[in-house]
Amino acid sequence: MLFASRSFFCLGIRTYQLRTDLLSRSIRFSVPATMAFRHKNTRRIEGLDSSVWVEFTKLAADPSVVNLGQGFPDISPPSYVKEELAKAAAVDRLNQYTRGFGHPSLVKVLSQVYERVCGRKIDPLTDILVTVGAYGSLFSTIQALIEEGDEVIIIEPFYDSYEPMVKMAGAKPVFIPLRYKNDGNSASSANWVLDPAELAKKFNSKTKAIILNTPHNPIGKVFTREELQVIADLCIKHDALCISDEVYEWLVYTGNKHIKIATLPGMWERTITIGSAGKTYSVTGWKLGWSIGPQNLIKHLQVVHQNTLYACPTPLQEALAQAFWIDYKRMDDPECYFYSLSRELESKRDRMAQLLQEAGLNPVIPDGGYFMIVDVSTLNVDLSDVDEKQPYDYKFVKWMITSKKLSAIPLSAFCGPETKRHLEKYIRFCFIKKDSTLDAAEVILKNWVKQTA
Amino acid sequence: QTQFLSLSLQATMSRPVQARRLEGIDKNIWVEFVKLAATYSTVNLGQGFPDFPPPDFLKEAFVRALSGENHLMHQYTRAFGHPPLVKILAQFYGKLLGQDLDPMTNVMVTVGAYQALFCCFQAFVDEGDEVIIIEPFFDCYEPMVKMAGGTPVFVPLRPKAPKDGKLMSSADWQLDPAELASKFSERTKAIVLNSPNNPLGKVFSRGELQLIADLCVKHDTLCISDEVYEWLVYDGKEHVRIASLQGMWDRTVMIGSAGKTFSATGWKVGWTVGPNRLLQHLRTVHQNSVYHCATAAQEAVARGFQRELELYGKADSYFVQLPGLLQQKRDWLVQSLDAVGMKPIIPEGTYFLVADISEFKSDIPDVPNSDEPYDSRFAKWMVKNKGLAAIPLSGFYCEAHKNTYSHFVRFCFAKEETTLKAASDILQKWKREKSSP
Repeated sequence: MLFASRSFFCLGIRTYQLRTDLLSRSIRFSVPATMAFRHKNTRRIEGLDSSVWVEFTKLAADPSVVNLGQGFPDISPPSYVKEELAKAAAVDRLNQYTRGFGHPSLVKVLSQVYERVCGRKIDPLTDILVTVGAYGSLFSTIQALIEEGDEVIIIEPFYDSYEPMVKMAGAKPVFIPLRYKNDGNSASSANWVLDPAELAKKFNSKTKAIILNTPHNPIGKVFTREELQVIADLCIKHDALCISDEVYEWLVYTGNKHIKIATLPGMWERTITIGSAGKTYSVTGWKLGWSIGPQNLIKHLQVVHQNTLYACPTPLQEALAQAFWIDYKRMDDPECYFYSLSRELESKRDRMAQLLQEAGLNPVIPDGGYFMIVDVSTLNVDLSDVDEKQPYDYKFVKWMITSKKLSAIPLSAFCGPETKRHLEKYIRFCFIKKDSTLDAAEVILKNWVKQTA
Repeated sequence: QTQFLSLSLQATMSRPVQARRLEGIDKNIWVEFVKLAATYSTVNLGQGFPDFPPPDFLKEAFVRALSGENHLMHQYTRAFGHPPLVKILAQFYGKLLGQDLDPMTNVMVTVGAYQALFCCFQAFVDEGDEVIIIEPFFDCYEPMVKMAGGTPVFVPLRPKAPKDGKLMSSADWQLDPAELASKFSERTKAIVLNSPNNPLGKVFSRGELQLIADLCVKHDTLCISDEVYEWLVYDGKEHVRIASLQGMWDRTVMIGSAGKTFSATGWKVGWTVGPNRLLQHLRTVHQNSVYHCATAAQEAVARGFQRELELYGKADSYFVQLPGLLQQKRDWLVQSLDAVGMKPIIPEGTYFLVADISEFKSDIPDVPNSDEPYDSRFAKWMVKNKGLAAIPLSGFYCEAHKNTYSHFVRFCFAKEETTLKAASDILQKWKREKSSP
């Protein structure tokens, strides 16, 4: 194309005409398949090919890098969880297909656990769908209930998959940011709040749903009852759905309580609540999640599921069911993994915060989840000579991986177009890591301080 | 409060809560028939899964993957496929196709072949696109095309009468070349090929594949090639991969399944193999729908393939032993059915066979003007009253063609000897009851 246009300018129209004639004749004679390959991607995935994970997991894969980026534990899952999987794999029939919408023993125990948590009856066959990770639940929910013409409210910063999934369903994402409200206290995730008036303005007749994530990734905010009530009131007023991503539901720290928006009045019938085995049991590689909600919504997710992958792996579901039974029976006991993991993580949180503070940084202390965000502008790393047209935090993390051997995730990956600029000095660390990993991070941060001093 | 109530009622009355893409795809034959089999059957030859275990080497590989020091087996692996698995798949299929494959760009792992199919339709089928589906077909193709906004265009395999006295073979079911050609238009995005074919067991010959390939090249159409039963071919037949035909590699996505390859349907590990310029779009769908597949099963399947690569073509290879074993079971079931007067169509491949149950129609009277195809009513009656589960052939046809054949059901023979014997006992007893006054 460039050649043709250069001809146009340099040699006049007639030569351009001649060249394009030759070009078109050559197309006709050559094999059609290679010259004019018409098999491009569908409209629904246009522009959805890039992914922060694909980019950064590759960089962090270098074993010499201390990986506090992607959110997965390098601590071991509890031994009984691993044992249950080995036991399940030894049973012949558990290596074959199970019930499509969820292995019977798994949906049964999920209904028991969540009946107790929600204080209402949950039918294991009609109110639950087991999916390939919470990721699969988000996809099934959005494909089932969202379409062209719909608007979906997404709270920024957000787990990055929400935006492309909404777009793939043909709908329009409408962003609203959590903003830091300085009330004099040291930075806590609780200081990041929604403006109720601003939120109300985002709802209109096209609003099909709002996506809520509590405890929140990346900030670690645990939405209070009052904050949830503001959202609930708007959902009810506008007859909108709530997609509630609660994968970190058990990871809440002292002084905080995880509240399910589905338990607020008027919300059960319009909420899909999503959970994750990966986050509950530190087994992200099992890729099992679930959606819980009223039958009249879950039945549509089931239709998506039966037309996308049909069933989830059997031995994993059986093992998960057995692990859940063990912990369900001790939900009154502090040794229940749901609570013991949270305690273990709280001390890791405190340690991570201390390491960052000693390095002269001001991390946002999360009330839940296993991530911590921090503003790195105080480190004054000048990256203006780095030519890439990426936000500052992308460049910073890449620089930090190569020169400091420490990885994190840039926060602008979790922002819509407007907010990216406001949060490009923030990066996210994951602290569900074993002591030796955090020790290694400590060494790096201490040296960093020494170098800048 | 009443203002909110009326708004809420208005909203619920004006538009359904679910998306339009779900229109017409909510029914599913498996949901119904799996439940029936679970409730009533004593002998389940319905849904397609083996009732014998996966091979020991595979189960051991899984246990080894889990019990090792490396507990990262329980955490995320590479999204597009666990590196050891994509590497061995690239090696294996590269060898089969006679070309170098890049594990990172020519292979993608999916949650079963089912999800591979989903990725293909979502990646390539837009509203207005036509997709040719050969009937009878594995039932998910039609709703998946519709969910992607496409239009399924059906072309039937037509049975040719068998030679006198002989049982029909799946080879006797053939496409009419002129009819097939007439289905291609400028709107045709892809054709779905399933060879060996579920439910008939047909193994498309090289000539038949060439016919399809010529049309794909002529019309610049994609080929979604569902080859999950690739190892299950009998009587010395050859499974020909359409991607190996001239002009086809660039336009074909091949789909495979660990479930069918290693008799472990519950593991839900599948894969796609193809050129990067097609697979790149499958990766986009995958990363926006499930993202990662479970790690441990992928590790075990990789080890299974490693073993098979080393034993390729040898007597100890599972890919040699399994079809040998299944051929015997096929022959056994064929004999059992023939002995009671059900007429089996001998499959050249897969672990399914379709049989003509006309001889047994007297027990299940016809209901004129019934919406439900006869074979479906027959199969339901049979599982409830005889405890024998099978799947009606109409389940593998589109709505408009459900009544083309009213008297065929599909049996799965990937079953232990005891199961097949029990099926035979049921049929023998049933025949005796029919004959006695």
